[in-house]
Amino acid sequence: MIEKITPVRKSILANIRIQRFTPSEHKSAYFDNFKVSVETGMTVLEALRLIKNTQDSSLTFRAFCRSKICGSCAVRVNGKPVLACSTQLMPILEDFKKDSVSIQPLKNMPVLRDLVVDIEPVIEKLSKMHPYLMENRERIPETLEEESIMSKQEHSRFDYITDCILCGSCYSACSAASADPTYAGPLTLGKAYRFSADVRDSFQGERMQAAVDQGLWSCAQCRKCINVCPKDTRPAVSIQRMRKMSIDDGIHDTAGSRRAKAYTGDVAKYGQVNKPMLPVIVNGPKGWAAIEAAENYLKKHGIEPTLQVCTLGGQSSTQKIYDKVKELESKGENKT
Amino acid sequence: MSEKIRYGFYSGCCFQGADARFFDILREVFAKVDVELDLIEDAVCCGSGVIEERSELTSLAVNAKNMAHAEQMGLPLYTPCSTCYNVISNAQKRMKEDPAVHAQVNEILAEQGLEYKGTCKLTHTLWVFAQDVGLDKLKERVTNPLTGLRVASYYGCHTRNPADIQGYESADNPTSLEDILEVLGVEIVEYDTKDDCCGYHLAWPNNDLNMKMTSNVLEGAHTKDVDLMVTSCPLCFKSMDGTQAKALAQTGKNFQLPVLFLPELVGLACGMTSEDMMLKYHGVPVNLRL
Repeated sequence: MIEKITPVRKSILANIRIQRFTPSEHKSAYFDNFKVSVETGMTVLEALRLIKNTQDSSLTFRAFCRSKICGSCAVRVNGKPVLACSTQLMPILEDFKKDSVSIQPLKNMPVLRDLVVDIEPVIEKLSKMHPYLMENRERIPETLEEESIMSKQEHSRFDYITDCILCGSCYSACSAASADPTYAGPLTLGKAYRFSADVRDSFQGERMQAAVDQGLWSCAQCRKCINVCPKDTRPAVSIQRMRKMSIDDGIHDTAGSRRAKAYTGDVAKYGQVNKPMLPVIVNGPKGWAAIEAAENYLKKHGIEPTLQVCTLGGQSSTQKIYDKVKELESKGENKT
Repeated sequence: MSEKIRYGFYSGCCFQGADARFFDILREVFAKVDVELDLIEDAVCCGSGVIEERSELTSLAVNAKNMAHAEQMGLPLYTPCSTCYNVISNAQKRMKEDPAVHAQVNEILAEQGLEYKGTCKLTHTLWVFAQDVGLDKLKERVTNPLTGLRVASYYGCHTRNPADIQGYESADNPTSLEDILEVLGVEIVEYDTKDDCCGYHLAWPNNDLNMKMTSNVLEGAHTKDVDLMVTSCPLCFKSMDGTQAKALAQTGKNFQLPVLFLPELVGLACGMTSEDMMLKYHGVPVNLRL
């Protein structure tokens, strides 16, 4: 039945638009167009090599392992960060219904030349996150003969992030990192969570503070990082979990932790977020200014302002859910 | 009279205060294309992805409850809010992938005589118009094509990310919004910041960053000389319209870009008036030559 699993071989003469830039020569980036016969199965990296070998030897890009493991070949194809070595061109041409595709360097990092970016600023942010284990004496045995054993469930809390290859795709996709250069970005916070969630680690407090200081609450949870990660490491999920750890750890004096507590409490109480009072709950007394502004806005439009929360119908039964979850959590039976 | 398409209507938290007007607007616009919304009476707030920061199990149970009610009604769950869609869809996926978690959630729901079976279908305004109603029917109902209007389309993030949050269209190259806009007769204008996030969910934890991100997206569209921006996400709408003046002032920019919530533009194209759509409640004045 070989014919059934062999893909139909197709070929499209495609226009590959590649962003070019040499800082010492050009004022700004520009695009070069290359005609390439794209065949079924051809990867972005193969196309780049073909262009370099046959059309323009000055084209500069970075690549090494060709196996989706070194993380050095990340570029943006039609705007989306991908690994050039593990991304085929034909499905993209078909998805966009065009015979043209653009290849650009990653965003949010300085371009060194053409498709090569300097990832050093991101690595510097990562180094401030204490990305290593500080031994937890309670879990690490005294002798070398014994192993430090963890349960499957303990391992599953962070296992998925250990696949991160620091390719920078998530950092490139992050709008918060574009708008705020001091924000640590998804991969660094993901790594911080990876070590903090490890039962063999005892460094939680300081690493947690480093994460809070570098923008743990600056992630908008747009979840683009999950979409673009070639290794499915789900940075936004790690950030949610890191936020939970920080609150459990006693870091309550952030607007983010106050919001988390307000939302969680409000849904139990009203079946709904108490939006009218949220500014004061999250920002303290200075939140009244926001409430006044909202009231003035409503009055201007002829609506009578109210601080009454608009409850939802499920309100009466929500507390039961919370009680049951609490019961399961206190018995250590939570399966998430 | 053609047959009605019905949905279990999950309203979410975003239509409070001045935005409460959207309840009526949505119903009236949907009526134009034979869609009827049956409110899911016993719904609870989805938690906006924030409850996970305290307890993932609570978030899953709350959203399984929402879906269980839709299942009881025998209707697909429709929500106009992209974040609700994202959070509920995520809960659905999580329980499908992990039967032990699904079983535990049902153990929690059993206390109120509910069961989440896992059959609930989820949908959003984009796919109600583009697929369930269909572009042909929508075209039939357009009595006032908005020809000549230059529009920047903006999906926002939560109907697009991650890729498996929806099975309706390509995640990397979605076209439902543009398909709808094309039927309404407008001219769609490409702009650089279309895929960027407006930062709405930072409004509380980091408002300055929210303002910068909103301002970035608006500026990208503004430089292309568009008449207005249209978004399918009601939370992006709050950022782009409600906080536009503040966002632009804080980032030293000086322009006004009218922003419409997708159902409003559909309503206008289907012959409803600016008064019907209550455009006077917008933060940025909308003065269209209709």
